[in-house]
Amino acid sequence: MAKTSLELLVSLQDLDLMIEEADEVKKLGFSVTGSTELIKAREELAKSISRPLLSRYEQLRAKIKRAVVPVKDDICLGCFLRQPTSRGVRGREDEQIFTCENCGRMLYWLE
Amino acid sequence: MLQRAELTKYFKSTLFIPQLKSKTKDAVLKELLDLFVQVKYIRNRDLVLEMLHQREKLGSTGIGKNVAIPHGRTTATSDVIVAFGRSEQGIDFDAIDKKPVHLFFMVIAPPHDEGNVYLPILGSLVTVLNLKKNRDKLLKVNTFEEFIEVITGES
Ligand SMILES: [Zn+2]
Repeated sequence: MAKTSLELLVSLQDLDLMIEEADEVKKLGFSVTGSTELIKAREELAKSISRPLLSRYEQLRAKIKRAVVPVKDDICLGCFLRQPTSRGVRGREDEQIFTCENCGRMLYWLE
Repeated sequence: MLQRAELTKYFKSTLFIPQLKSKTKDAVLKELLDLFVQVKYIRNRDLVLEMLHQREKLGSTGIGKNVAIPHGRTTATSDVIVAFGRSEQGIDFDAIDKKPVHLFFMVIAPPHDEGNVYLPILGSLVTVLNLKKNRDKLLKVNTFEEFIEVITGES
């Protein structure tokens, strides 16, 4: 099944986190040899995301590090504010993506 | 680093498989991940599986001495959780020393984790598993309680 825009962003962020922490993981004793390959995979994935959405992701990431955060029990796990049952404010570019009213991060509901 | 007693908080009896069925690297990643799905710790299995495969591209998490610690952060979870699985016959996991892997620890963490325990957990696991006596004991434990005793260093 094709991924939704939000799922593409989740995969992109998961890759970004992995790339970011590669050095620290290496220090713990893990073998880290494929950074170049991973960065390439990241670039490929980024191409499949719409331009406006990708730039929104990058802007958020530059500002607050984690652009997409899980929501559990209606709590944004970026800032820990409860989201209104209306599911926060709708994202501009993509009808399926909601943002936290408080911190502005894009939200991924866990249930 | 995390104290060993602290480390035990991140294991669950529902995420403990003393006899893995899998025989390949791909299968064992799925078998362990399915535990997380069953107990509803992750929302989207496919996204997390993809993340774990990407992580293996960065370098095998088979750290040698018959141990593998597949791990990663994913936006599809809210808690740091560790699953344990053991394969009696061993699985070719592309480990750095090419030896088959018997002991598997899968660590899944959210993008933010409370108290930043994710990396310390990985570090503590590496330390515990570097000791031969701990690996030997883990090859023999039968119950989750016995397993936890080895992790805390009480056995
Ligand atoms: Zn928020």
